[in-house]
Amino acid sequence: MMNTAAILRLTALLLALSCMPAGAQPAVPAPEVKPGTSQETVQSDISTREIAIQSNFTGIEILIFGSIDFSDSRTPGEGRYDVISVVRGPAEPIVLRKKERVAGIWVNGPAKTYGSVPGFYAVLSTRPFRAIASDATLKKLGIGLSDLDFGRYTMGDPEEQSFRSAMVRLREEKNLFQEDDDGVRFIGRSLFRATVALPVNVPTGRYTVDVYLFRDGEVVSKSQGSLEVTKAGIEAFLYQLAFLHPFLYGLLGVIIAVLAGLAGWFAFRRD
Amino acid sequence: MFQIYLPIAEISVNLVVMLGLGAAVGFLSGMFGVGGGFLLTPLLMLSGIPPAIAVATGANQIVGTSVSGTMAQWRRGNVDLQMGAVLIAGGVVGALVGVFLLKILREAGQAGLMISLTYVFFLGSIGALMLWESVNAIRRQRAGKSMSARKASQHNWIHGLPFKMRFPRSRLYISAIPPLVIGFLVGLLASFLGVGGGFIMVPAMIYLLRMPTNVVVGTSIFQIIFVTAIVTLLHATLNHTLDIMLAFLLIIGGVIGGQFGVRAGQKLRGEQLRALLALMVLGVAIRILLDLVIRPSELYSIVPLAGS
Repeated sequence: MMNTAAILRLTALLLALSCMPAGAQPAVPAPEVKPGTSQETVQSDISTREIAIQSNFTGIEILIFGSIDFSDSRTPGEGRYDVISVVRGPAEPIVLRKKERVAGIWVNGPAKTYGSVPGFYAVLSTRPFRAIASDATLKKLGIGLSDLDFGRYTMGDPEEQSFRSAMVRLREEKNLFQEDDDGVRFIGRSLFRATVALPVNVPTGRYTVDVYLFRDGEVVSKSQGSLEVTKAGIEAFLYQLAFLHPFLYGLLGVIIAVLAGLAGWFAFRRD
Repeated sequence: MFQIYLPIAEISVNLVVMLGLGAAVGFLSGMFGVGGGFLLTPLLMLSGIPPAIAVATGANQIVGTSVSGTMAQWRRGNVDLQMGAVLIAGGVVGALVGVFLLKILREAGQAGLMISLTYVFFLGSIGALMLWESVNAIRRQRAGKSMSARKASQHNWIHGLPFKMRFPRSRLYISAIPPLVIGFLVGLLASFLGVGGGFIMVPAMIYLLRMPTNVVVGTSIFQIIFVTAIVTLLHATLNHTLDIMLAFLLIIGGVIGGQFGVRAGQKLRGEQLRALLALMVLGVAIRILLDLVIRPSELYSIVPLAGS
């Protein structure tokens, strides 16, 4: 659905551009300013607060946009500020299995359980985020895939490490884990934008969007927003029925099949 | 283009591909007079639908196609209701056992493997037997000999079993145990493999129960409606693996494809038809076997924690 995404993007950007010079109403929670640092504050919002997964859903691109207030940067390319945005989907426990060869065939062998793996996780930054701040700062904020613990202690042990990197790789292949070093772009002196593509298999639930403003390797301001991914229309109806009233759902499946079968026989019968 | 999101499988599939898959399998099942589940379920798995969802949804699709088939047979009086009822009784128990078995295997992460292995075994052996039989028949015909009439012995060990019942439509007076056992096995296969089980039931009815050939197909397809309906209900209730959206697309394709298949089948000769079907069955078996034997490109897989 390129069209929808494009339109959303455009409207959001226009909205942002028209609001910002006027002083801007903070659409999202008020930015927290760290005491003892400079005056800069960051404000941000997301193009879509609610994403409805319907039968035509093939993924969606969302736009995160914002501005730096009281910026003392004179030109866009000055590089005084860095922005890192982290998008997190709802966490859930998962099992990771590895196939092994047993008697000539490949079967699921050892498994490891991870207690808390975000269903979606993306880090977007103005430049490689490892260069923006120290490892300790990034770890404290939970920025970067290598700093997530996934609810399992995996330090040291090489087998744990290979499982962990396989899990991250699988999620990256499905675009459920992303790190984009060039994901946030400044437009002009204080306005910035970032796009993130949610793939077709995004889990439903509440997503948080954190936007951090860095200056000289330290966070000077943070802004937080959220968005909700839900199933809608017939998708939502069927999903809820399947899990809340599974017997009725099964019965519905049988009835539809019987009716379709009768209709087919009736339409094509020759006697 | 025409992508459609499946609410339970949680993937987006191509509408035209799934309708086409249903129609192609329906065409073949109409042509060969088989349920087609043994082709549909593996094809769904090969096209990326999780195995357990392919099984439950395949069973639901067979409900639709077997209703169409039964209506045609019913009007010709080819359904033995008594025999059907006994087979269904066995089938319900078999289906329950199969669904629980699949649930346990799914939690152990071995569902896909066991489904694949069972498919390889059944498709491989039945495909090989059918090919052998049909090639011999074609060869005999080329040699100009007439089809050898099988001399059916009037009595076999089945007639010594207790709990005898009368089956007027089949003109039989036999023990209820063999049809119950056959029904049980078919129910087990239906819930475990997402198939109707006709490929086991039809030979068993002819060779073991010695039912008249004209009522065999009608009764088998009649029984399949009920067993696959129960399998669908059980999978939906216990495993949450039924995707109605996917089943609907497959049924639409299947019902239409099936009607054209019946017409196409009448133009082909029996032995050739069986040889063709045998080759197809063997092809699917080999494909599944290769997937098990060849080193997979991805050794790791992620599943949500069961019960969460």
